[in-house]
Amino acid sequence: MKILLVEDDKQTAEYITKGLREHGHVVDHADNGRDGLYLATGEKYDVLIVDRMLPTMDGLSLVKAARDAGMRAPVLFLTTMAGVDDRVAGLEAGGDDYLTKPFAFAELRARVGALSRRPPIVAATSLGVGDLEMDLLARTVTRSGKRIELLAQEFKILEYLLRHAGEVVTRTMLLEKVWDFHFDPKTNIVETHISRLRSKIDRGFEKPLLHTVRGAGYVVRSSD
Amino acid sequence: MSSARLTRILQSASFRLPLLYAVLFVLSAGVLFATVYWTATAAMQNDMSAVLRSEAFQLAEAHRRSNLAGLAEQITRRMNFRTRGPIYYLLQAPNRRVVVGNLPGMPPVNGVVDFVPQPETPEPETERSRLTGFGITLADGSFLLVAQDSTRLVDMQRAIIRAFVWSSGLGLFLAIAGGALLGNSFLRRIDTITRTSRAIMEGDLSARIPVRGTHDEIDQLVSSLNAMLARIQQLMDGLRQVSSDIAHDLRTPLGRLRQQLEDARDRAVTTADYEAATDAAIEEADSLLETFSALLRIAQVEAGTQTSGFALFDLSSLMKDLGETYEPVAEDSEHLLDVRVEDGVMLTGDRQLLAQLLSNLLENAFHHTPAGTRVSLGLRRAEGGIVIDVADNGPGIPPAEHDKVFDRFYRLDRSRSTTGSGLGLAMVKHIVEGQSARIFRG
Repeated sequence: MKILLVEDDKQTAEYITKGLREHGHVVDHADNGRDGLYLATGEKYDVLIVDRMLPTMDGLSLVKAARDAGMRAPVLFLTTMAGVDDRVAGLEAGGDDYLTKPFAFAELRARVGALSRRPPIVAATSLGVGDLEMDLLARTVTRSGKRIELLAQEFKILEYLLRHAGEVVTRTMLLEKVWDFHFDPKTNIVETHISRLRSKIDRGFEKPLLHTVRGAGYVVRSSD
Repeated sequence: MSSARLTRILQSASFRLPLLYAVLFVLSAGVLFATVYWTATAAMQNDMSAVLRSEAFQLAEAHRRSNLAGLAEQITRRMNFRTRGPIYYLLQAPNRRVVVGNLPGMPPVNGVVDFVPQPETPEPETERSRLTGFGITLADGSFLLVAQDSTRLVDMQRAIIRAFVWSSGLGLFLAIAGGALLGNSFLRRIDTITRTSRAIMEGDLSARIPVRGTHDEIDQLVSSLNAMLARIQQLMDGLRQVSSDIAHDLRTPLGRLRQQLEDARDRAVTTADYEAATDAAIEEADSLLETFSALLRIAQVEAGTQTSGFALFDLSSLMKDLGETYEPVAEDSEHLLDVRVEDGVMLTGDRQLLAQLLSNLLENAFHHTPAGTRVSLGLRRAEGGIVIDVADNGPGIPPAEHDKVFDRFYRLDRSRSTTGSGLGLAMVKHIVEGQSARIFRG
């Protein structure tokens, strides 16, 4: 993937660039807003990672200007501000996701991965991986033809995981997308629910589908 | 009163305003008096000239009937017996010889004439007084003048002018004196405000401006200034509290982190040792970061910057979702979760913050009560609002510590051994305050 990183803090930029390159991505880096905008509108990127606070032009204005110029790549905002207002402002400016600093690299990688996969034009009516199938209209889940009863929240978790099948989904992503929690609860509600979900979809089957990626999150895939 | 103070009074709004009114008053009084003056003068003059004219025409008629001698006789008689009406007469022969009369001779003038008799007038009492006369040149060329003393008119005019000068002078004086008094008292109150704000600038945040209790505009201004000061002081105290809390309570985990890293450097031998030490350090750093973001969030909520996140949302469905979310958590920690939520309760507020608040309370309940405790989450409509309750039948909080549990970093003695930052209930308190809600402890 070709990624543009606009970040003025040298250490953070190095940390991100190094990590992404190690995972086989091509990373261009700009350390101020104006250069960032120049690159964003001149080159073609798969994902933009933009810091909110930048010299010469802040992240919000950069993304707004780039969107006005026809740039359509997904944008991940990096922010030190975790307030609801900041999050909403970022999304309104044309951002697709946000990540509060400091963050674990695995979190960033998972978010970038999720962003780079553009949603299909036609909304899917069913999702699946391996022998697991989810009917989005009937709200039913089957594995090897066997009906699995899920609670509403378990269904939402599985739906999100299936939409990102093969990609690592972090705890925070689940909290935000499934529960709409933009804070960190003290108890491991994600772990608790995942373990319940796992016992329902994997127990009694030979090959597990729901895997835990240590230090990163979870992934649904048919083969390990 | 020093001259500087006098200057300030003269410059004050409460002095200038009455003064302006006084000047306007004097101007309008001037217009009024001028009207009275001209009207009264004109009326009196008309009156006088009508009397003079009729007298003059009567005498002219007498002259036509008799002759100059007859007229002279007539005039003499009138001069001797008339006490009212015109009292000055002059009959001049065509050669300007005075035939009869008590006025000195003069060049003949027809119609109304104002004049002052010449000093050589034989009659001493007429000296210098102004006369108004009516003159007619008779058929034989002789000149007849009937005149009246117009001193009364002048007196009246003077009286009007005097009245005007006195009343407007007095009015102006009262306005200036009153304005000075008002200005002085106004200034004294402004000075109090200035003094108080100086004191506050010098660091005495508890200073307040005294309220007079008159409920006037200044009192209202002072009350709202005081309210503002109280709010500022509250925020400042909060800030001070936060900084000292942070200083005190973050030292321990930071120290622990340092110790772990030191330990790793000195003792770790294998890669696994390093990994374990790094993991421990990351975990410690994460919990520190969490504490920081909790503090930041409390500060944001406290500053009221989050009201923009207010929107109408379905509280019932949020709470049901929370119930479903925490049901497995309760199960794992061997608690019972009892969810009783009324349907269709809508609320205008910050959905995120309320979710966080309820999560905090539920987590507190699971975390600080023994296994087997029943925790309930309830929502119901009540008179004047809605009631959300989160309760448990655990050991409870000792009454003496009821208020303290809402302070930042405060932890009950028996919970010191468990994990937690001591910020949960502080967050709850600030969120509740931000949502115009109240906490009731049961």
